[in-house]
Amino acid sequence: MSPQTLLPILIAIPGLLFLGFSFIWLVGIHVPERAISSLTKAVYALLTILSAMIGWKMWQGGIASVRVSMGDWFTVADYGFPISLLIDRLSFPLVCITVILAGVVGSFSVRYLHRDPGFYRFFLLLHLFTFGALLVFTADSLDLLIAGWEIVGITSVLLIGFFQYRPDPVRNALRVFGTYRIADLFMLLAVFLAHHWFHTASWGGMFTGDWPGHSNNLDGSAAAVIAVLLVFAASGKSSQGPFCGWLPRAMEGPTPSSAVFYGAISVHAGAYLLLRVEPLIHDSKAATGMVIFIGLTTAFLGTLVHRTCADAKTSLAYASQTQLGLIFAEIGFGWTTFAVIHMVSHAVLRTLQFLRSPSMLRDYNRVHSAAGGKINPTGGYYESLLPLPVQVWLYRFALGRGFYDAILDRFIVAPVKGLARLLAIFEPKVTIKTAAETVKKQAS
Amino acid sequence: MQYLSLPFISTGIASLAVGAILSLTGRNPRPIAISSAFMSLLCFLLATCEVGVAGHGRLFDPLLPFFDADGLDAVPMAFYAALTAIFVTLAPKRDASGKALAGMLIVSAATQIAYAGSNLAVLVAGWWLTSVPFVLGMFGKHPGQKYANGILITSCAALTAAIFVLHTTQLEDLSHTTMLAFGLIIFAVILRKGVFPLHGWMVSAFEHGPLLPTALLFNGHLGALLIARSEAIALPQTAKHALDILGLVALATALITSVRGLVEKKPRRLLAYLCLSQASFILVGLATANAEGITGALIHWLVVSTASAGLICIVRVLEVRVSVIEDPSGHLGLATKTPRLATFFLVCGLALIGLPGTLGYCAEDLLFHGALENHPWVGLCLPVATAFNAINLMRLFSILFLGVLPKHVIDIPDALPRERWPLTACVVFLIFGGLLPSTIIGWRSEAAQDIEKALGVPVRKPHH
Repeated sequence: MSPQTLLPILIAIPGLLFLGFSFIWLVGIHVPERAISSLTKAVYALLTILSAMIGWKMWQGGIASVRVSMGDWFTVADYGFPISLLIDRLSFPLVCITVILAGVVGSFSVRYLHRDPGFYRFFLLLHLFTFGALLVFTADSLDLLIAGWEIVGITSVLLIGFFQYRPDPVRNALRVFGTYRIADLFMLLAVFLAHHWFHTASWGGMFTGDWPGHSNNLDGSAAAVIAVLLVFAASGKSSQGPFCGWLPRAMEGPTPSSAVFYGAISVHAGAYLLLRVEPLIHDSKAATGMVIFIGLTTAFLGTLVHRTCADAKTSLAYASQTQLGLIFAEIGFGWTTFAVIHMVSHAVLRTLQFLRSPSMLRDYNRVHSAAGGKINPTGGYYESLLPLPVQVWLYRFALGRGFYDAILDRFIVAPVKGLARLLAIFEPKVTIKTAAETVKKQAS
Repeated sequence: MQYLSLPFISTGIASLAVGAILSLTGRNPRPIAISSAFMSLLCFLLATCEVGVAGHGRLFDPLLPFFDADGLDAVPMAFYAALTAIFVTLAPKRDASGKALAGMLIVSAATQIAYAGSNLAVLVAGWWLTSVPFVLGMFGKHPGQKYANGILITSCAALTAAIFVLHTTQLEDLSHTTMLAFGLIIFAVILRKGVFPLHGWMVSAFEHGPLLPTALLFNGHLGALLIARSEAIALPQTAKHALDILGLVALATALITSVRGLVEKKPRRLLAYLCLSQASFILVGLATANAEGITGALIHWLVVSTASAGLICIVRVLEVRVSVIEDPSGHLGLATKTPRLATFFLVCGLALIGLPGTLGYCAEDLLFHGALENHPWVGLCLPVATAFNAINLMRLFSILFLGVLPKHVIDIPDALPRERWPLTACVVFLIFGGLLPSTIIGWRSEAAQDIEKALGVPVRKPHH
């Protein structure tokens, strides 16, 4: 089978699995854990084989990119929503790590979530997530990418609130969802403006040539506006810059979901978007500067806060944020191949770390014993070169996590809520008479 | 004049009317109401199929020729009949008294009269009749009722005055009298649809009023129908400016209600803001004056009807199960006991705000593109309202379904069979409509083309 046939099958399988599982649950059929785990393992093994076959066919035929056009999803008058898929040197590694790591995490979760009331729900969301992530990485246009982008977002939020009977996951899921929606707004605006100004949002229309040597077809300040909007959208997905507060909150979800979303795949979708539109960003000095600035400042903040975190998962979240900041900076500097290698290796390493985090203390004790009870503490050298007041200030800054939440609440959330309360003047107040008042009135 | 093969419209309306009378007088009202609702659904489905087969133009009812079905109203008629069937089937026992069911059937029959009216006079008659059960207090008394009744009657009076003025002048006449008539029409729409700054009554009706009948009134979208009809009859240029203003006011409603929802904690009010904001998109789309925007608006009409009906029904059935829901102090954590209702709620809500893979996404995509094409600022503001609405939806979902289950909620049933199947129908429509949107677009394309032609839109460059 040709890659043109294999690619749609690869993407459709997790989507169909999700629909099938959902239907089975809705009609009230009980599926045992064993069946779910066997099916999940088999499906992800199949997806891995399909990915390998696509890669093999492309390598064998010396094909740099494969486009699969499946016509328009819907058309109205002169506007059509194209369904076109693309796999090339950029998307192939990401497709591979998606299916492999999602399969690994699925396999791990069978034991981790054994007899958990949300077992079925977890796997349902995992399949939906895989479908969304594959759609993001293989979309041949911003229109289709945003469809996958939002599916990834909603599954991420539902998994953060997985332990719904505890207040903190619920509160944090809501906060993450709010951040996602605001960041996605930039993406939506970019897509609509691309259509409005350039009458295209497909990679083929926006760029010429194959990745990584492709060139930008859009020019002028309009293109710069779209580039800046996409940088913000990518920052939102990768928890960078103004949207850096959500990643630690997302750690409320079960560990396997943290691994696959915030260590491996979801957070790298932002970096993927930047790599995909890299010529557009490099043609705008503002967008390039913004990517580098956002990346470096987030990396700095992430590494500072990471050092003061008391729990393993939050610490890993900030470590992920730091690495993603560096990947952003690499993209800004134009080191695209290096950025892809960094992304893939970071995703694999971080997944391992997240999956090991529940048994980290045990691991540490084993290493400690193996080293004869002596492990020299690492780090702490460069900090000691700084003057003591600066060290103290930085420590306080890191302990307050950059005061990000306080700033956000004070300058964004509070004014919006104030405006919302002010708008109540347009609504008449309806007074509810109590039974006693009604009786009194009737008596009088 | 072309006619339907059988008098489907008059039979459908008569079925609802007879059902209302029998429900009011009979001892077992629910089976009667359900039978009449499903009978009318069958009639309107057949009428819709005939219109679809006929292709273009109007098909008149052979028995009562002042009723007709065309590309614009045929699908909403079948939809509205389905909604009525869902509401009377799903209504909890305390909402299913003979009087209340009769009231709901009267609202439904009146809305169908407004849809099917072949002239504005019949539409006005339907418009008036929809208010009757509320004014007569068939659903009981509630705070803010006088205010809501006042708004409904004023709306009817404004529309009646507009029709009276229009009948005395010619449409092509650009005199002040004609402009006054269009002004009155727009005023009637603003009142009826709860458009800013007169949206308060709808929020109050959702909060204090009978939820299911209010939802039935809200989902008639008669304001949108009137605007679509006005557009299709080739308005004079000045009236089109008035429609632009209506579009901007609807945009303001979408934004303001979405922002208001951010500080609201009561589920009913939050639901009202969410539904009002998303329903305002329909008017915005109709005011965009291009094929994408108008088609998007007409599809969004179906999405809002289905998704909001699902959400409202779920909130109501939960209210009956858990009394504290009206003003909860915290999260209710009901997903533990009602996982299916939680799933239905989430799917309907996400479709309403346009999650990819649902019909809402296609509707909003078309609507945003259409709006951006002719009114860039409108096109840029609509996604903002959607983002806030999404946050409101998740807040509502988390209040109802997430968090710690209150101690007094020991055992409540999940979706009962009479609740499960209507909600499944809503979810299936929203998801399969999203996966295969071309079929749904096909249902509405004729009406959109008619409106676009009447507005005289220039041909633009194709793009993907």
